[in-house]
Amino acid sequence: MLRFRSIWFARLAIILAFFALWEIAPRVGLMNERLLPPLSDVIAALIGLLGSASFYPHLGTTLFQTLLAFLIAVPAGAILGILIAENRFASEVFKPLVFFIFSIPKSIFLPMFILAFGIGLTQKVAFGVFSTIFIVMMTAFAAIASVKEEHLRVARSYGASTMQVVLRVYLPSMTPVLLEAVRLAMIFNFTGILLAEMYASRRGLGNLIGTWGMSFQLDQLLAAIILISGLSIVFNETIRALELRLEHWRG
Amino acid sequence: MRMTPAHVRWLLLLVLLVLWEALPRAGVVPTLFLPTLSGSLLALWQDKAEYFANLLVTLNEVLIALIFACGGGVLLGLVIGASGVMRRLMLPLASSLFAVPLVVLYPLFTAWFGIGSESKIVFASVYGLLPTLLGTAAGVQTIDHHLVTVAASMGANRRQQILRVYVPATIPTVLAALRIGGALVIVGVVVAEMLTSSAGIGFLISRYRTLLDSENVFAAILLVLFLAIAFDAIVQFVERRTAGWQRSGQGTGDGASFA
Amino acid sequence: MPAATDGTVAVSSLSHTYGAESGEGTLALQDIDFSVAKGRFVSIVGPSGCGKSSLLMMLAGLRHPTSGEILCGGAPVKKPDPERIGVVFQEASLFPWLSARKNVEFPLSLRGVPQKVRTEKALHALELVGLKDFAERLPHELSGGMKQRVSIARGLVQDPQILMMDEPFAALDEQTRFSMGDELLRIWDETHKTILFVTHSLSEALYLSDEVLVMSARPGRIIDRIEVDLPRPRTFEVMSSPRFVELRERIWQQIRH
Repeated sequence: MLRFRSIWFARLAIILAFFALWEIAPRVGLMNERLLPPLSDVIAALIGLLGSASFYPHLGTTLFQTLLAFLIAVPAGAILGILIAENRFASEVFKPLVFFIFSIPKSIFLPMFILAFGIGLTQKVAFGVFSTIFIVMMTAFAAIASVKEEHLRVARSYGASTMQVVLRVYLPSMTPVLLEAVRLAMIFNFTGILLAEMYASRRGLGNLIGTWGMSFQLDQLLAAIILISGLSIVFNETIRALELRLEHWRG
Repeated sequence: MRMTPAHVRWLLLLVLLVLWEALPRAGVVPTLFLPTLSGSLLALWQDKAEYFANLLVTLNEVLIALIFACGGGVLLGLVIGASGVMRRLMLPLASSLFAVPLVVLYPLFTAWFGIGSESKIVFASVYGLLPTLLGTAAGVQTIDHHLVTVAASMGANRRQQILRVYVPATIPTVLAALRIGGALVIVGVVVAEMLTSSAGIGFLISRYRTLLDSENVFAAILLVLFLAIAFDAIVQFVERRTAGWQRSGQGTGDGASFA
Repeated sequence: MPAATDGTVAVSSLSHTYGAESGEGTLALQDIDFSVAKGRFVSIVGPSGCGKSSLLMMLAGLRHPTSGEILCGGAPVKKPDPERIGVVFQEASLFPWLSARKNVEFPLSLRGVPQKVRTEKALHALELVGLKDFAERLPHELSGGMKQRVSIARGLVQDPQILMMDEPFAALDEQTRFSMGDELLRIWDETHKTILFVTHSLSEALYLSDEVLVMSARPGRIIDRIEVDLPRPRTFEVMSSPRFVELRERIWQQIRH
């Protein structure tokens, strides 16, 4: 118990030290204040951003695009992945292809999406889906593989109906892996949307970040980085907590 | 003759290549969106001097970033993975950080290091570091510690235990991490070049896009794909040569295996 | 030093407590006393968790008992000494990246023995276990029984007088297990080593040994010592002989709970 707590303290200390260094280094002239504004300035900038009405349309655009791409990519990827994995021939044909596409860089296709869809919402969402769907499919393969043949056989030998097999064997076996899919999908998806916005757009967080970087408004830039990191980490940790919860359940 | 999955896969690839040539040629797909395959390859050939010069810039950035990302990632991964306390202390932090879309750091790096090669190298190093670190740390834990006891029973001293047992046992992990990290470093460099730069393959992609010269955009994309696949093939080759013992029972779900 | 190579093992009043440093520990081994004459085959059996494997680790110099003394070949065991004691572990425990021959050479290479001598000795040891033709195979290309034979060759390569074996055949199927037993008896016959053999299989212990030491559940103590007076060479049929069944029953009565 004590050890567990001391690990927490140590971890907290590392994070605090990082932030303290961020505050002190520019203040004492260890870092150029123009290149690394002290943490307090950045927090002030963050509060300023959150208090300004003009910021919310940007935030809203990014979150909306992210959510939309997520809601398309995750179910589509999961269904496609499950269909492929459940059919022997399809999985032998397509699994290596999906692995292959997953392994090649997808960001370089971004210009294609601009040439095809312009730089509006459609392009962002399409690119977000493209960035995400393969990791979801790969995780779906893993999810199907995590269903044990013995469990299916036992369920069937006790006369479980197809519906019961799906609900009582497939779902509980697959849930942890599917949660992992959701978690990874969000990382890939959010990155894809932000990149697309940074590359070419009229609004959105990515657009703001790009502009602030070019015009050396680093306090605002860092404020946005903190906000984006915070959002990502909170989402990620929520899903991980759910995964952990589920593990406890399953014993 | 029965169609094996590999046949189907090759057929699919062939159909895709034919369609890539035929559809734009027939006017079904506007060439602005998808130029013909032959047109793209021709563009690559015609401007080969320019592509070569920019490829060198990109390769140089990739190599330096590889040293930082993979060297740093493997080293930190080994240190963290080998110690229980470090693992419990650092791994949760590292995997939380993994959730952050690192691409937002790039504008910061251009502000700090300018739009030359430095910002690309720093960005790609950061981009490739975490996954390499996490991969290595996870791999270190899969080492069979029983083998160390075995070596000790034969009188191996601490140095021999490290050099003769830990090091060879870690090679597959390191190579796997190198594979992940290297792929990310390549993406990182090219994406950074696409965003703001004055040289490199990514720069060409973006420049030709603004010029609406789709054939050259695709030519450059093909070049990057080739680079990524070639890197992967090299690491796989080394893996087969040095770590063949690891691959015993497990099936190969590896990407590039079309055959 | 002839004394150091005479192949006897003597353990006197050995006890071991886990976590002894932190005050209240768990008593794992208690007052172990026994001795083994040169060239004898002695098995140690006992319920799982009785500490028989820990005892072997201490005999091999890989762990230190809280108290007591261990003499192998007349000299105390402070650290692993493969020239005196060869160890064969549970499961194959071969280095997966080394060929069978390189695995057998491993202990020699730790001591900087020249390559030529190494190869010669390794091939000789592999020949002894009947695997000379498989010298260049990697472990994953060998069957479970073959891997364990490589392990035995590795234990024997420096020609130690004592061989310690920790459930070496536990991971093998029943049939392979007994043919490995026969193989081991043949090697023992040819080399005249002293063998200490830990197992949880009573049949295996009785089939192979001159003497069986029976350990109790934790804290592990030696509660019986059985002289196996079955005639050698032993064959499969010996296991259905009345004496074998009687001895088996005697051990079984003491360790079952």
